[in-house]
Amino acid sequence: MKISDKVQYDRYLKGEKLPHFRTLSGIEMKEFYQRDDKQNDEPPPGVHPFTRGIYKDMYRGRLWTRRQQSGFGSPLESNRLIHFLLNKGMTGLNIDFDIPTKLGLDPDHPLAEGDVGLVGTSVATLEDMETLFHGIPLDKVSTTLIVNPPYSAIIMAMYLLVAKKQGVDASGLIGTIMNCAITQLVGPTYQSGTHFFPLDPAIKIACDVMEYCINHSPKWNIININPRNIRESGVNAIQEIAYAFCLASEYIRRLLARGMEIDRFAPRMAFFASVHIDFLEEIAKLRAMRRIWARLMKDTFGAKDPRSCMCRIAVQTSSLPMTAQQPLNNIVRAAIQTLAAILGGSQSVHTTSYDEGYALPTEEAQVLAIRTQQVIAYEAGVCRTADPFGGSYVIEKLTDEIEECVLNLMEVIEKKGGFLECFKSQWIENQINEARYEYAHQLETGEQIQVGVNMEREEDEEVKINIFRQASDMQEKRIHYIREYKESRNKGQAKQTLENLYHQVKHHPNSNFFQAILEAVGQQATLGEISDTLREAYDFKVHYI
Amino acid sequence: MKKNKRILIGKIGLDGHDNGIRIVSKWLADAGFEVIYLGLYNTPEGMVKAVLQENADLIGCSFLGGEHLFYCRKLLRLLRQNSLEDKKLIVGGVVPPDDVKALKDMGVSAIFTPGTMRDTIIRKVNELIAA
Repeated sequence: MKISDKVQYDRYLKGEKLPHFRTLSGIEMKEFYQRDDKQNDEPPPGVHPFTRGIYKDMYRGRLWTRRQQSGFGSPLESNRLIHFLLNKGMTGLNIDFDIPTKLGLDPDHPLAEGDVGLVGTSVATLEDMETLFHGIPLDKVSTTLIVNPPYSAIIMAMYLLVAKKQGVDASGLIGTIMNCAITQLVGPTYQSGTHFFPLDPAIKIACDVMEYCINHSPKWNIININPRNIRESGVNAIQEIAYAFCLASEYIRRLLARGMEIDRFAPRMAFFASVHIDFLEEIAKLRAMRRIWARLMKDTFGAKDPRSCMCRIAVQTSSLPMTAQQPLNNIVRAAIQTLAAILGGSQSVHTTSYDEGYALPTEEAQVLAIRTQQVIAYEAGVCRTADPFGGSYVIEKLTDEIEECVLNLMEVIEKKGGFLECFKSQWIENQINEARYEYAHQLETGEQIQVGVNMEREEDEEVKINIFRQASDMQEKRIHYIREYKESRNKGQAKQTLENLYHQVKHHPNSNFFQAILEAVGQQATLGEISDTLREAYDFKVHYI
Repeated sequence: MKKNKRILIGKIGLDGHDNGIRIVSKWLADAGFEVIYLGLYNTPEGMVKAVLQENADLIGCSFLGGEHLFYCRKLLRLLRQNSLEDKKLIVGGVVPPDDVKALKDMGVSAIFTPGTMRDTIIRKVNELIAA
């Protein structure tokens, strides 16, 4: 719609005005903030409750990790990409697997063929994992493995065996397994969390992985609760954090029930948050997250080790503000979001690429994302002191307000029986859908402005943008590979380990399955075969027509 | 009383991103269409079966992960094999510009990429159903 001349001139006369003064999560902001908006002085960074940062010196001590999500096609292609990005200034790995891998399906499964290798890399065998990490020293480069249970157990087992082959002891591994049954795929939507594996066993196996890693890999992060995916489903910052912490509490209660001490595992739990475009609110949100977590750990779960109370936050800047229209605008958005992540004190950042509205990022777009972070780190001067916005009237007030709203919502969820109960009853699902419709409504009405979409939109815009393309025979090759692999290995040994696993799940359902999964992986059982064995043992079938 | 036009909507393949398809389903329902939402993880075969069962007037799918060419090709072929070529297919989601053209050439009636406004979608759906 072309704005008429009259409207245009009226706008000049009146001066432009914002549609309203509310944050994205609906907090009404005041004309200005002053000293009495903040009750108490916050302890310094590095001191409980860590509102101002988990370390005293923050980025003076070390910069955040530049951890761009990567992975596509075959493990060999992804291995090349990882080396390319490390050469271009990435400082940690963030490996995304394709959806068949994250749903426990081998590439030759009838449901998998169209999705193999598309939004992450396809890994089905131990050999695949060796290829993926070829030339990467696993005790020197920290890696995040983006995969959900029960398949996280299989991928973790592969990772341990690759490390062993490299001569790296399990105790030396540094990194994170995402390992959350509910948030890891596409946020806490009911069908995505229940369609390919029963929910309670998936959570049980997540706990098996955590228990195993705590005992064998003390530097490894055992779970990464994913508020980012919660947020990307369409909810606001308050829901993002409240859901994530209530969900974290569920895992904590289960680990405690196994007889583990809170201080043994809480320091190895971490979060992966979103940073949306609402700059001040997002900075305040990250600060509030740390304060809420510290108090939850100490006051509710009795943690004594300060490390248990440090909320470690990885960030991926939100994709929701990214537009397909005028895609170069996204470079500006991503820079603002990344700056908020840093001013909020996060530990690692993935800056979402400007071509997000079209496909996986091109190499050019990924390098630009890394450069964005380097400009902020080395040029903008914001890393010279910890929590530069600490003491800002508005940031402190927003931090308090977000904390209060999150705590209220957490109480609502706990009163309803906790996060899992709310997820199973689809209360969460309904909340998400309401939030989605509301956000869409705000974009429709112009209450929330998106430049290039509902303001300054160019009709018939011809977008000139390089698009990432997969090799045309990639899927076919992967399917061929897995068929050959299954034929060429020692079938008897793989079969035996799968039978052992089946037997253990059937007859010792409360025992830890990780060792049995590790053995199956070691004997070349595939990801799909191990997943199917678990499904069978739980009398679960994947339904499809 | 005039019967509302029926639109069958679902995600095909393994991608679970349903933010857009949920919103568009609601917009269409609010605009007076009868929306049958099949949720995630449908196969092309399952979609065709549902088209037959529900006697839908229009089919809508959405994609995010780059699987649109594979599944649209398969779905359109199955529709033809079942003599359902009069059932028009609309697609929403993350589709690169070249593929928008490829999908149209294949026989997809409309493609709505991110940022498409509600009125544009409703207007196009009305046109397609009236045609």
